[in-house]
Amino acid sequence: MSGARFRGALVAAAVLGCATPPRPRELDAYEAVKKGANLQEAAKRAPDLVTSSDKLGQKAVEEWESNDLEESRRDAIMAQIKLKTALALAEQDRLKAKIEKLSSDQGAADEEYASVSKDLASETEKLTLLQKYLEARKTADADKQRLSQQMSSDQQKAEAEQQRLSQQLATEQKIAAAQLALHTAETVDASKYASADYRAATDMLDKAQGELKQSAFAAAQASADVAKKNADHAAELSKPRYEQAEQASQNKMRDDALSRDASGVPGVSVRIDRRGDLQRLVLAIPDLFSKKQTTVAPGHEAVLDGIAALVNKYTTYPVQVIGHTDSRGKSGELVAISAARAQAVYGALVSRGVEARRLMPSGVGGDEPLEDNHSAAGRAKNNRIEIVFLYH
Amino acid sequence: MRLWTRRWARALSLVALLVASTAGRAARAGEEDDLQRQIETQRGGVADIERLDELHTAGDELALLKAWLDEAWALRAKHEYDDVRGVLDRALAQAELIRQKIAASKLRAQADKREADLQLTRRKIDQSRKALADTTIKKKALEVGSK
Repeated sequence: MSGARFRGALVAAAVLGCATPPRPRELDAYEAVKKGANLQEAAKRAPDLVTSSDKLGQKAVEEWESNDLEESRRDAIMAQIKLKTALALAEQDRLKAKIEKLSSDQGAADEEYASVSKDLASETEKLTLLQKYLEARKTADADKQRLSQQMSSDQQKAEAEQQRLSQQLATEQKIAAAQLALHTAETVDASKYASADYRAATDMLDKAQGELKQSAFAAAQASADVAKKNADHAAELSKPRYEQAEQASQNKMRDDALSRDASGVPGVSVRIDRRGDLQRLVLAIPDLFSKKQTTVAPGHEAVLDGIAALVNKYTTYPVQVIGHTDSRGKSGELVAISAARAQAVYGALVSRGVEARRLMPSGVGGDEPLEDNHSAAGRAKNNRIEIVFLYH
Repeated sequence: MRLWTRRWARALSLVALLVASTAGRAARAGEEDDLQRQIETQRGGVADIERLDELHTAGDELALLKAWLDEAWALRAKHEYDDVRGVLDRALAQAELIRQKIAASKLRAQADKREADLQLTRRKIDQSRKALADTTIKKKALEVGSK
């Protein structure tokens, strides 16, 4: 039994002694590196290293198979180192090529980026300018519209104001015209001669002025027109009456002045006779002629000068020069004497500058005595020259 | 004559043995110093490599390198110079591997950055193109609207 065990043990020892030992892990690691590597590339880049690695690897295998494990491990490690170095060198070349290509690509990309950026900047600038332009145009349009509206509004206001002022002016003009017409009417005393129309005009003018204050221009104009119409009518109605009255007044004033001036002439007596509508201012000059004489007796120049000045002062009056006698004598002779005497005075007045055409000499004889012819005093008064100013 | 020759031969052998013994000790001492310098030089190189590895892509390899240099130092102390040389050769190769890996990683980072930059630029191009198209459409719309 023990002999059998011994023999078995010897057999096992022999088997174990002759068997290949386990592969060193360094050798496995080398094989793994070799298997996963791009050997062609490494061999091309570092042929010495790869060859050396191969030899060492082969040697490590042989040493392993020869059971020289320590040597196998060392050589496997060395082979792995050399192979890895060759692979690192190959990787470097690969990376350098890659870097070179990337640099080239980067250059192209940079150029492309620069070009695109330039285009983008240009387009962006254009867009910005366009936006600014459109914004400015929009603003300008808005301003234009606003200004247009403002101008339109202002223009409307101005037009309205202008229209208002125009209406106000027209109204004021119409009122002024009505006032003028009213004043014109007043100058012809329309309040007296056409009181109804004048009052109506006054009332309408007051109304027009009130309406003007209230800016009721149309109504004010209508009222002013009516006022003017009334005033014109009043003036039209009043004018002839006024003129007539005025004329009468003037005539009366003139007549009064004539009468006053006539009274101032020395040696005459003044009286006023009315014959119908005709007024007669009579200046009686007695004792101008001697008995039965037809030439002016001396010493009466002052009387004749005064008469001539009076006639020349009041030029509008027709003047009669009438000779009168007393009743002693034949009527025909008396008329002739009186006419001759009138003619003599006429000549004396003409010689003093009186217009001949204004004087109408005539003789009436003794038909119009002033006093009784039975007394000498009466006859003296009846022998006279009368200067008669005629008027209405 | 033969005696003289034997004596001389014996003496020469002793001298040769003495010289060989002395030279062997001197050679061993010189080799140990040389290996120590190599180890220290490589350790100094490790510091340089660590400074180079800004992206920390070779941490495992550096740890392995340091471990191997420690191993070499330990083997030197045991006067196993052949093993020290083997480990130093391996460490030298490992240092070179690390340098190349760092260089590759830097190139990779550079490539990644370039790629990212390129992608960014392309995105900018796309955005600019879209903005350009939008702007053009907007401008045309405004132009049409303004007429």
